[in-house]
Amino acid sequence: MSPTLIGLLGLVVLVLMFFSRLPVAYCMAIVGFLGFSFIVNPEAGLNLLARDIYDVFSSYGLTVIPLFILMGQLAFNAGISRKLYDTAYRMMGHTPGGLAVATICACSAFGAVCGSSPATAATMATVGLPEMKRYGYSDELAAGSVASGGSLGMLMPPSVVLIVYGILTEQSIGRLFIAAIIPAFVITALFIAAILLVAWRFPAMGPCGRRFTWKERFLSLRDMGETVGVFALVMGGLFLGWFTPTEAGGVGAFGILAVSVVRRQLSWAGFVKSLNETLRTSAMVMLLVAGAVIFGHFLAVTRIPFDVAAWVAQLSLPPFAIIGMIVFVYLVGGCFIDALALIMLTIPIFYPIVTGLGYDPIWFGVIIVLVTQMGVITPPVGINVYVVSGIAPDVPLEKIFRGSMPFLGALVAGTAVMVAFPAVILWLPQLMFAN
Amino acid sequence: MNKLVAGLVRPMKWLGGFCIAGMMFLLCADVVMRAVGRPITGAVETVGFLATVAIACSLPYTHMTRGHVGVDMLMARVPRKVRHMVDFCTALLALALFCLIAWRTVLYANSLRASGEVSMTLEFPTYFLVYFIGVAFTVLALAVILDIGAAWREVVRK
Repeated sequence: MSPTLIGLLGLVVLVLMFFSRLPVAYCMAIVGFLGFSFIVNPEAGLNLLARDIYDVFSSYGLTVIPLFILMGQLAFNAGISRKLYDTAYRMMGHTPGGLAVATICACSAFGAVCGSSPATAATMATVGLPEMKRYGYSDELAAGSVASGGSLGMLMPPSVVLIVYGILTEQSIGRLFIAAIIPAFVITALFIAAILLVAWRFPAMGPCGRRFTWKERFLSLRDMGETVGVFALVMGGLFLGWFTPTEAGGVGAFGILAVSVVRRQLSWAGFVKSLNETLRTSAMVMLLVAGAVIFGHFLAVTRIPFDVAAWVAQLSLPPFAIIGMIVFVYLVGGCFIDALALIMLTIPIFYPIVTGLGYDPIWFGVIIVLVTQMGVITPPVGINVYVVSGIAPDVPLEKIFRGSMPFLGALVAGTAVMVAFPAVILWLPQLMFAN
Repeated sequence: MNKLVAGLVRPMKWLGGFCIAGMMFLLCADVVMRAVGRPITGAVETVGFLATVAIACSLPYTHMTRGHVGVDMLMARVPRKVRHMVDFCTALLALALFCLIAWRTVLYANSLRASGEVSMTLEFPTYFLVYFIGVAFTVLALAVILDIGAAWREVVRK
């Protein structure tokens, strides 16, 4: 049996194992180890297991992940999300669909201190859903805006997905973060446009909320100070070279902790809960990376990535058609597999193709985040939809999926614009890192 | 067995939390000290060590609290017995994987110890960390044995 055939067989077995509900990371490690052992030899496979796991766990580059997760968890347990929502609510709540708009803005702002999409959705579902229910919003618009707005957490820097992409492809995390800022604002604007369109077409779905005085609105702005300050410190420090991405994570987490303690917003129990959740999410991500590295070594000895790249190179298709095909694979794959797992699984195959076609790796990183963002709100495995459903069990899943559809349209439109005009993504990093 | 695993996982979780908090404080202290021209020697290495211990410590806790991502879609639709039979088989596979990792990690640590490998700045013997990962995977394997028992009880239950 040729190595390529063994590789293809390994991919089929891997997909079948995914459906056994065994964690994705375990599946990748098992198939990667068995495949590598079969092609090279069992002793080499056993050595690979120990070394890959130690290399991933002890990698200084990956220490950035728990620190940014801790920053988001501290922000969540300190109730910063509620303040962000309150500010957005006072500013926009009185307009048609205004509470849903406020939810999207608060999600975008919370994404600036939290790098995870389900965490952002969970946070905003707890804060925003009861308010929208109180003002008679339809379940579709309320739950759809929370699930979709949550997906902004993985695009707005700091983003765990971008960090992992940057480490796997050896791209600058700072550059990836800067590149994602304009796309995050564009998608936020498109989400707001989608809400306004729905509220204009079906006014009963998003009635007006309470109107606040201008004084009340401006006073609420001071609650945003800590978020803006920490975001500016983290991004500014990274950009100005004051600290590395890992240090930025540490400084950001400490910044949130310091502000929360001074303002008496974080209890000891909240701090311990933040640490426990950070451990849980970090172990999940790190074991996924370890599984992907083991599986990636197996794929490398099968030569599948090189064969696929060579096959694509000889196709007489224009580069944008190939990018379209890759985007389609992510779109379909994202419906079934977790975004991070999908990216780790496919990067070894797609990355050489994309760079071979002459596309910018930074641009591609942001594009795949956008596409996998669609996966978190599409059936059957839209993780954000399940998160919202867990917090609001009275809203049927179908309604949340249906409510997410206008946002899916906005995401598709935004991605199309950024594929057609890469400058939307690349302009800011090129400007800021010109020297 | 339940008590043994819980008794091991709890202190590991505390140690992991302590390491994560330590990373945050150490990084901030290093940034500040560097700004005043007195960087902390070995801060980068220590952060790496703390992260290794934190992640290793959190493996059994994450497994026991179902923190890993998996695809539930198909198994949610099959009969209960089939689901538990599949769980039993996959848990056996996971147990084999973690036992192999624990075994080979200890062998790897032995080889590092024999070669006298130490970290570059602090000259800390890195094999300690590798042994620790081996211990963490052993505890993880014990947690999986609990899953195997639970799945088997469900399979034989009428």
